[in-house]
Amino acid sequence: MEHGPEILALAGLAGIAAGILAGLFGVGGGIVFVPTLVFLFAFDQLDAQATSLAAIIPVALIGAWRQSGDGQIDWRAAVLMGGGAAVGVLVGAEVALRLDEATLSRVFGAILILVGGEMIVSSVRKLQAKRATPAPADGPRRP
Amino acid sequence: MDLSARLRQGNLLPFVGIGVVAGLFAAMFGIGGGVVIVPLLMLVAKMPPRMAAATSLAALILTSLIGVVRYAGTDHVDWLGAALIGIPAVVGVLIGIRFQRRLPAEWLVLGFGVFVIAIGLRLVIWG
Repeated sequence: MEHGPEILALAGLAGIAAGILAGLFGVGGGIVFVPTLVFLFAFDQLDAQATSLAAIIPVALIGAWRQSGDGQIDWRAAVLMGGGAAVGVLVGAEVALRLDEATLSRVFGAILILVGGEMIVSSVRKLQAKRATPAPADGPRRP
Repeated sequence: MDLSARLRQGNLLPFVGIGVVAGLFAAMFGIGGGVVIVPLLMLVAKMPPRMAAATSLAALILTSLIGVVRYAGTDHVDWLGAALIGIPAVVGVLIGIRFQRRLPAEWLVLGFGVFVIAIGLRLVIWG
């Protein structure tokens, strides 16, 4: 790959942004990696997805190591989900070949919008309840 | 049937189920598994938001490794490209976690909700 410094700088910035999302929300960063590789480096979709997976490995490793130090990881759950996902990917690849993907994507997108809406509503309610009762006895207090 | 109680008692099958669903959606829609795993851990397994995000990241170690192994031997993985975005992302993940430590759980869920809606809109509009 031959690329100018501005392309490399943009890739670095996109990488940092992907990592921040990964650390905050527990996603891998592929949602940023794949379009970055396609638009900055002109990768085709398959190359971008495969390369994105490789880029996720160090992010997941270092992120999990740091979170583990905070006692935030249920490793049993993580290993079981990782194994389950391996099976799901194989089945999903088969299903994707047989179904109308554009329609399915829209249905799934709609589900995500509902899930996201539910999260926003529930968290706003909790924040309002918190405001109504200013000093929770069991909450963390800072002097 | 209280699923979260069963999980606490050591019934681990639901975690395998969450993984299967995440893998299915990842392969079918080309999205990362985390977008599916985190809400399911919170809603089904009643995991606190921060732990759900952290545990999802740990599960992604395995899924990304398996994914790369599947592509091994093809020339689809560009290691230089992966390093150019992956190494800055390692810096980013440490920043993200540092930020997450200070963020109240409600704000974390609120932010995740916005993030999930953005992905949903993308899928609805562009298929």
